[in-house]
Amino acid sequence: MRKNIRTLKLLTWILGTGFLILLPFLIPTRMHVAVIALYYAILASSWALLAGYGGQFSFAHMAFAGIGAYTAGLIGKFIRITSAPTGACTEFSLGNWWLVIQDTASPTCLESAKATMPLGTLIIKLPPWLDITMGILVGGLFGLLIGALVLRLRRTYLALFTIAFAEILRTVINAERDVTGGPGGLKVAPLFPNGASIGNHTFSPADKLPSYFVMLALFLLVMALMYWLAGSRFGLFIRSIREDEEAAASLGVDVVRYKILLFTVTAMIAAAAGGVYAHFVRVIAPNMMVIKEMSIVIAMAVIGGMESLLGAAIGAILIEFALEQLRSNITVGPFTLNMADWRLVVFGGLLMLTLRFWGNGLIYPIIQRITRGGVGEETVAKRLQQPAANDSSSLPDAEGPESVP
Amino acid sequence: MTHPSIFWYTLLWLILWGAIGALITPRVYARKDKFTHQTALLGSFIGAALGPIGLILLWIFTPQLTAKWLLGSGLIALFWLALAFAKAAPENLCVTSGSFVATQIANGLVIGSIYGLMALGLTLIFSILGIVSFAHGEFYMLGGMVTYYFTQVWFPDLSPLLGVAAAALFTFLLGALFELLFLRPMITGQIERPGEYAILVTFGLAFFLQYTTLSLVGASPKKVPRFFDYPKITVPSGTGEIIKITPGNLTFFDTISISSPRFTALIIALILLFALLYFLYKTWTGKALRAVSQDRQAAAVTGINPKRMNTLAFALGGMLAGISGASLVQVFSWVPWVGIPASSRSFVIIVLGGMGSLPGAFIGGLILGVVEALGAGCVPDPHRAAAYLPAYGMIILVLVLLLKPTGLFGREL
Repeated sequence: MRKNIRTLKLLTWILGTGFLILLPFLIPTRMHVAVIALYYAILASSWALLAGYGGQFSFAHMAFAGIGAYTAGLIGKFIRITSAPTGACTEFSLGNWWLVIQDTASPTCLESAKATMPLGTLIIKLPPWLDITMGILVGGLFGLLIGALVLRLRRTYLALFTIAFAEILRTVINAERDVTGGPGGLKVAPLFPNGASIGNHTFSPADKLPSYFVMLALFLLVMALMYWLAGSRFGLFIRSIREDEEAAASLGVDVVRYKILLFTVTAMIAAAAGGVYAHFVRVIAPNMMVIKEMSIVIAMAVIGGMESLLGAAIGAILIEFALEQLRSNITVGPFTLNMADWRLVVFGGLLMLTLRFWGNGLIYPIIQRITRGGVGEETVAKRLQQPAANDSSSLPDAEGPESVP
Repeated sequence: MTHPSIFWYTLLWLILWGAIGALITPRVYARKDKFTHQTALLGSFIGAALGPIGLILLWIFTPQLTAKWLLGSGLIALFWLALAFAKAAPENLCVTSGSFVATQIANGLVIGSIYGLMALGLTLIFSILGIVSFAHGEFYMLGGMVTYYFTQVWFPDLSPLLGVAAAALFTFLLGALFELLFLRPMITGQIERPGEYAILVTFGLAFFLQYTTLSLVGASPKKVPRFFDYPKITVPSGTGEIIKITPGNLTFFDTISISSPRFTALIIALILLFALLYFLYKTWTGKALRAVSQDRQAAAVTGINPKRMNTLAFALGGMLAGISGASLVQVFSWVPWVGIPASSRSFVIIVLGGMGSLPGAFIGGLILGVVEALGAGCVPDPHRAAAYLPAYGMIILVLVLLLKPTGLFGREL
């Protein structure tokens, strides 16, 4: 029986991955939505790891994605590598190369220095993978900081603290127009500045397909990493912290270390998603960090199933496609429903109903039904309903949920 | 600013020694076997106020903490900051014009009293149900919207006060309905993790209400003219007027100027505040509410139904937010997402005042109102001043949560 389940699980994974790889051939016109859906899937499932597994209800997840995006964007805007010193900008020597920072005090220093630099001097931007990596590191640093600051705060206090952090960050990015472009947005280079070629087919930088595969690779990598983490001691420990922090500490779980680690890892994942997203959409604005975006990610995770990484990811993908599909207006008799707004009403209502009636989400129970192969029905709860049938086999301490004092 | 570096270096100096004080002081107290309670707070204040000298003296003598120490060092730190600002920006209106500062503070107090009223609702909910409603700002928004439709669209001939009453009734019923449908299952044990559930479900309600309103009324800003025109009075007439009233504005002592819609809102807030205090301290139901907030089981033993009190508290909390919105709809233009900053402000206020503390909520509201008014008036670049407005409260929230999570008047955790 156990072996069967394992094969079934493996089969589901292979089928799911294969489906996502073949998706561009099924819906070639909707690649933009597909990339955004994967972006939300990464965010929702990493939030599920943070909140569903670890019990840390952080509202700063979009802020970490924003940190990743803005780090990538700002590096692209301000930092260049040259093969000769400019003599005008702030610069650091790296052997034969120079790292040039065009700060806001002298935004045109590189332009004016071009005249004096020797002929054939190379001026290059950092490649996207490098600035995304920098974004991940900066996101991780912020995650570490926030994780360390919120150690003593629980539930509501944690939620309020993280909301405040996200709002402060968004406000600063909004206000400092000279550096970040403010609400108008910051231009970011495309993911493949010179286009990409697979086989003998060449894609232009504007093509969505290469970006889709980059986002898909990130998604699969992140899912593998999170499943490994959730299945390891780390996953066990953070779940024990969620259930009862003091009890976990008394049994030898290093609560401080694992909570900070959890924040750092999920912040890095969010920052990675944000960095790729920035290079994909090519204009990022502080609006990507507003509370509405955070609500959407939370709702996706909740509807998918907060305690399941895969459930949250599938939920995110389905909901993103559904939201895009529902944009067109519906006319019923004399009334025209402006679906651009009403779809979010439906979505909010669905979130509340899911929370109220299906605490495990809508997708997770289905996944369980498939992967457990019928074993799930033989649960403690079932056994308790028929105590006479297998009296000897039922555990002595399995006497239903503990009574609430 | 003419010399911005003076201000920024002073601020950096205050933060540096404040942080050092907050980190090291508890360890010094612990090593000397003294009571370490709130020594991080004291250390940060002393560090910011008196720098390294104050900190070394504090670590040598390690006095027992009293409110006097905190208040004194906090005021000194504020004084340094104000002095640095005055030196850095001698041409700023906040430095040169006393009447401008007085007007800003007075307007901050007026708006702050409405914020306080709204936060009072949130703190009432927290003290009875033990949850923070993330949809509080949406009740505020709905209060304003109902008033707009009542006074401008449906019944333009009736008194605007009836519009406020309609808003109160609507938000009260909405709060009661939501509590019965979604929060009641928490206490009857139908929800697995009530604490987390409450955060998420109120968050979902906020999203739902916001987009329902947007879909129904559209995104264009709604405006309500001021409820009352005051008669023209000047006391005494001639020079040296104490009060000068025109239909749109009130001027006190020739210096402090408050627009009349704000003044009306202040009056409504004060009436509501006293009505609430009367209700909570003099009526049976109010006493029952306070009893439940102090001890659920004991209250239940004496014959109070805690479940009904939950519904009442949530409905009352929503109603207070709704009335705040209804009285401010004549001051600001109203859009469906006006509740988002309002929610954030309420969070700041209840954390600052202490979660569950009624006087704390009102005083916290006044403090936040003044901080925002001074921040908006004194930051030199007007674009930046407006853009940074949401951040001031959030910085207060972060600092309070880090240094003194119980707030000014909160119960000990």
